[in-house]
Amino acid sequence: MVDSKKLQEKAREILERDDVRRLLGWKRPTYGFEAAPAVIKDASGVDDLLFDATCVNNLASFITLEEKPPVPRGEEPDTRKTAIMAKGCDSRAIVQQLAEKAYGRDDVIVLGIPCSGVIDRRKAGEMFGDVSAPVAAECEGDKLILEVDGEKKEVDRKELMMDKCLRCRYPNPVISDELLADEVEKFADDDFSDVARFEKQSQEDKWAFFDEQFSKCVRCYSCRNVCPMCYCVECIVTNLKPQWTRRSTDISENTAYHLQRAWHLTGRCIECMECERVCPVDIPLMTLNRRMTRDIKEMFDYEPGVDPEAEPLLASYNPQDPEEYIM
Amino acid sequence: MGDFKFAREKMADVLSGLGEYQVLAPLVTGDVVRFREVEESEVPVGERGRYANSVVPPKELMFPQTETLFRYRLGDTDIDVSEPAGDTGRVVLGIRPCDAQAFAIIDKLFGWDYPDPYYQKRRENTTLVGLACGDPGSNCFCTSVGGGPASEEYLDAIMYDLDDKFYLKTITDKGEELARALSGVLEEAGDAEKKAAEKQADEATSKIGRSIDTEGIPEKLPSLYGHPFWEQFSDRCLGCGICTYLCPTCHCFDIQDEMEQFDGRRARMWDTCMFKEYSLHASGHNPRPTRKERTRNRISHKYSYFPENFGVIACVGCGRCINYCPVNIDILDILTKSREAEVKEEKPA
Amino acid sequence: MMDESNPYLPYTVKIEDAWYETPGERAIKTFKVSFADEKVSDTWTHEPGQCAMVGLLGIGESMFCISSSPTEKGYLRFSIMLMGKVTSALHQLEAGDTMSVRGPFGNGFPLADWEGRNIVTIGGGIGQAPLRPIIEYIRDDGNRDKYEELMVVYGSRTSKDLCFQDELDCFMAEEGTECCLSVDIEEEKWDHFVGFVPNLLMEVEPSPENSIAITCGPPIMIKFVIGNLEKLGFKPEQIYTTLENRMKCGIGKCGRCNVGHLYVCKDGPVFSYATLKEIPEAFA
Repeated sequence: MVDSKKLQEKAREILERDDVRRLLGWKRPTYGFEAAPAVIKDASGVDDLLFDATCVNNLASFITLEEKPPVPRGEEPDTRKTAIMAKGCDSRAIVQQLAEKAYGRDDVIVLGIPCSGVIDRRKAGEMFGDVSAPVAAECEGDKLILEVDGEKKEVDRKELMMDKCLRCRYPNPVISDELLADEVEKFADDDFSDVARFEKQSQEDKWAFFDEQFSKCVRCYSCRNVCPMCYCVECIVTNLKPQWTRRSTDISENTAYHLQRAWHLTGRCIECMECERVCPVDIPLMTLNRRMTRDIKEMFDYEPGVDPEAEPLLASYNPQDPEEYIM
Repeated sequence: MGDFKFAREKMADVLSGLGEYQVLAPLVTGDVVRFREVEESEVPVGERGRYANSVVPPKELMFPQTETLFRYRLGDTDIDVSEPAGDTGRVVLGIRPCDAQAFAIIDKLFGWDYPDPYYQKRRENTTLVGLACGDPGSNCFCTSVGGGPASEEYLDAIMYDLDDKFYLKTITDKGEELARALSGVLEEAGDAEKKAAEKQADEATSKIGRSIDTEGIPEKLPSLYGHPFWEQFSDRCLGCGICTYLCPTCHCFDIQDEMEQFDGRRARMWDTCMFKEYSLHASGHNPRPTRKERTRNRISHKYSYFPENFGVIACVGCGRCINYCPVNIDILDILTKSREAEVKEEKPA
Repeated sequence: MMDESNPYLPYTVKIEDAWYETPGERAIKTFKVSFADEKVSDTWTHEPGQCAMVGLLGIGESMFCISSSPTEKGYLRFSIMLMGKVTSALHQLEAGDTMSVRGPFGNGFPLADWEGRNIVTIGGGIGQAPLRPIIEYIRDDGNRDKYEELMVVYGSRTSKDLCFQDELDCFMAEEGTECCLSVDIEEEKWDHFVGFVPNLLMEVEPSPENSIAITCGPPIMIKFVIGNLEKLGFKPEQIYTTLENRMKCGIGKCGRCNVGHLYVCKDGPVFSYATLKEIPEAFA
């Protein structure tokens, strides 16, 4: 449980500092099961801030998403810090961004929030149907207590949490300047059984599965834009000279796009599952990323987003690197 | 026109009766509801309360995500124009009134000046049979933008799902033609069906929970150009294409040439004003360099520029942009804030 | 004229002649082209100010102003600056090659409304290309006496970056045409003004009395030129410019070229300052 008042007070304190430009947190949305990201620039916005099981958005994406227009002549660039509230998975994204030197440690103030899991809106939609009012939800032990359109509901956590939460290896932030609540227990171990289940299928079945899924893709690039690790200024898929991947949505181009992204995330994906959450046509993108995560763990004994000093895996070379995957 | 009915179990017969048409309906496609051709023994989604609308709007039936404009071969000067749509007529069975209204809106743009033959041919070949909404979605606001759960204005015929049966009312000549094709399956509807349909429509209208008064917004938005309130939304915008691609009135597209060795095609595909590349000049200059300009442009286009050019707001209140935006940028929230925002008086130059 | 049944289909044109106006990384190359299909060349008409989508099958198209006046019969001219994917491909073409043209698009300059007036064109760099058809139209024997004085104000970074040099030499010598040139920086053998175009404008001080001014060039130059024209007493209705934006369809459908509610491909590219003043996005 995170005390909202304490969270808001801390936010106020941070925003009143001279060296802080903005604070990233969550606030009640206009409807539904997912809180809205809040980008707060002065203390007047802190009363909206909250943390509960609806805070699904990975705010680390907003650090790298920030657009800095050219500074007018005579003005200095604004080098003040960004404060960010971060769950376990969000903090791994920050660590990986730091390891890749996307920005410096001093550019951010991390307010860590130990997390017992967030709601999967698709599962909630199945269970409760279409809801109007914004939902509040708290974890209490094994239960999730929700307020849905004025009614209190109590549900087994396992039934509503996102899949990533059910196997979360890092519920407590791996980096923080301050923790805003007490640490929590891991929910369960991650045995990568989801990966094992999928890979048992035949090649034909696996291709058929991805053909059906990638055919749905409308190339909205929401998966790319929401991903905290996708922050290339010029993305390979929008390059025109040369054009590596076409914009047309035939199965070949769609597959190329998704496989490219999975490869570019290998050794970098911290499994926040935002890509799968945001996809409007329900493509199970994590299928690819989970496989890559397990493989690099087994082959290289490496996990991204844990050590900010670690060398990014595929950006470094060791003569003892395993080579079985190279054909 | 005509009032008909058919029992729910007869839906398969209706589909066979429409054998000479290509029938497109909302169907589950890889876990999501989308409009596509009905295959053997499939029954369109339409159980009341189970689905409000498709994820991707049926605009993709008139204006596909990717479409070939023409083909060519290097060295030849002849261009092979693909025929836009087959000669077979098409029926869209189960389109919601909001999505049909959206066609009427983008018709104006695709028919503007040089009519777009690809869109128009599909539009002419298609009969729209609507499915009145019994249970509007929680983010629907069609009644605020000139629509309604049972609005007949932009449809050729409309169906009402009355649980054990469907009531079908024909509206235009195209609708009548369709009814003739189904003469073997349809029965005459009586007062009972008409009253039940009316009751459903009234109840659905009263269930619409969200609204916005659009009066004055098209005129006010340009004066809010420099107002900081846009940042409240653009700060958390991811710059993806969800709101635009899922919007039934968004019509922007890219045109690209694709080559395989010596054969090629010029194709068009959906584009979004939310991507920075949309307005990026080859010189590197971008008139809308950050998401603030792009978010402001999108809303202004829908609620100010389009009405200025065509007399209608380019929004039908389907709610998809609200339902699918990953960061809860809610158009009704934006419009409400734009009403509240104070216009700062410009000092004379 | 545009094929009404399918406005996306381009016409094939043959390059009669091609030459470089200016050198360097952003070289400008002029193409003089004629239609491969006689039926098209017989029926083609355009107005000064209109544009066309020029490109190559397999590469793509970009919008360029038609840099020739309709009084120049039998051919069209385009002056194209090397910049990106399409222009790189076009720059590799020479006389005898073919390319595709689709158009004409947009509005033209309201030359009929301007009869009886003094005309001042103010160009910078490649911005002279859309102004050239106005100048050629007015200088045509059939039109010259419909207009009063013609003043051509034009500047570039260096003398090598001035386009249409041979024509400029003609203007300098002509009666009834005043030609004022500038380069941004001092250089050897340059006898004319040294400085930016907006400053040159203040130096030559065209009178706003019964005059129309048309300007085109880099956005920053347009901004300062308009400011200076107003200082000289020109009213917004007397000031015209021609804008550019990224374009794909050219017919007001793909959406991207808008400036406020106006589409540059359709409502423009020619706009009076009186119109643009009311559009917040125009001078953002």
